[in-house]
Amino acid sequence: MGTLILGLITGIFFGFFLQKGQALRYDRQLGMLRLKDFTILKLMVTAILVGMVGIYFFVDMGWGKLSLKPTILGANIIGGLIFGLGWGMLGYCPGTAIGATGEGRWDAFWGGVLGMLVGAGIFAEVYPSLKDSFLKWGDYGKLSIPALLGVNHWIVIALVWAVMITVLFVLDKKKSLIKN
Amino acid sequence: MNIFKKSQWSPYVAGALIGMVSWFAVLTAGKYLGVSTTFVRTIGMIESLFVPERVASMPYFVKEKPMIDWQWMEVLGILIGAFIAARLPGKFKGKFVPPMWEKRFGPDRFKRWFVAFLGGIILMFGARMADG
Repeated sequence: MGTLILGLITGIFFGFFLQKGQALRYDRQLGMLRLKDFTILKLMVTAILVGMVGIYFFVDMGWGKLSLKPTILGANIIGGLIFGLGWGMLGYCPGTAIGATGEGRWDAFWGGVLGMLVGAGIFAEVYPSLKDSFLKWGDYGKLSIPALLGVNHWIVIALVWAVMITVLFVLDKKKSLIKN
Repeated sequence: MNIFKKSQWSPYVAGALIGMVSWFAVLTAGKYLGVSTTFVRTIGMIESLFVPERVASMPYFVKEKPMIDWQWMEVLGILIGAFIAARLPGKFKGKFVPPMWEKRFGPDRFKRWFVAFLGGIILMFGARMADG
């Protein structure tokens, strides 16, 4: 099947599940940023836990390849802080702004999608002046936790599962305490 | 089926299914779920309508070509999938201002859209700086 059709099918399922999981809502996103509502954190952590097991299995089997982004401290940290500031103002991330537009939330389109297009255009304008300086500060290349620790990736996966299941359990407990 | 008409699922169920969507993407296309590069390609395509030579000479658009690719179609799919999911229960209406915003800043939709627009610019600038 064509790559484009596969992308479309992938996206339709992704958008469907994001909507059913209530991730496409400003109130849920701001609720998480304000540490008041952990619905989206639960959804994201579960997706990562399930995703990582399958994908590392495929890599072991030779059915797929990891796609690591380089660790560049300057670009990652400053870019992340700027991203967070904009996220708090917009109340959607790029994917959820698209999904929220499909759900009929007009602020996600008139604000989010248009603003993000302009932001991408501005970045393209300034990219030449950043790419050989700022975007290279603290460049450590393509790192992964198993490679850094020098252990088998399944040990790291088991540890991440243990830590995250504990976090989710505590969050659920905490919520019921507040309710009572 | 009832499950599709239910307007909300547990975030654990939806999250696990999204994890499986990431399996599907890797197995079928060797791709990872992502969105923000599509905004670069799309603004490049829009700018190309007006100043094609300029766009063709810009390093960032040489790096991220203004074209429709797997991720572009995935982003289109997110829009369609969310549209279908929101309408299956049959009671959804378009919304102009989110409830939490309205409670704090009032019902003025242009005020909300203006802040969202600025937020979108800042967010995407940061996302591209950190490489997605």
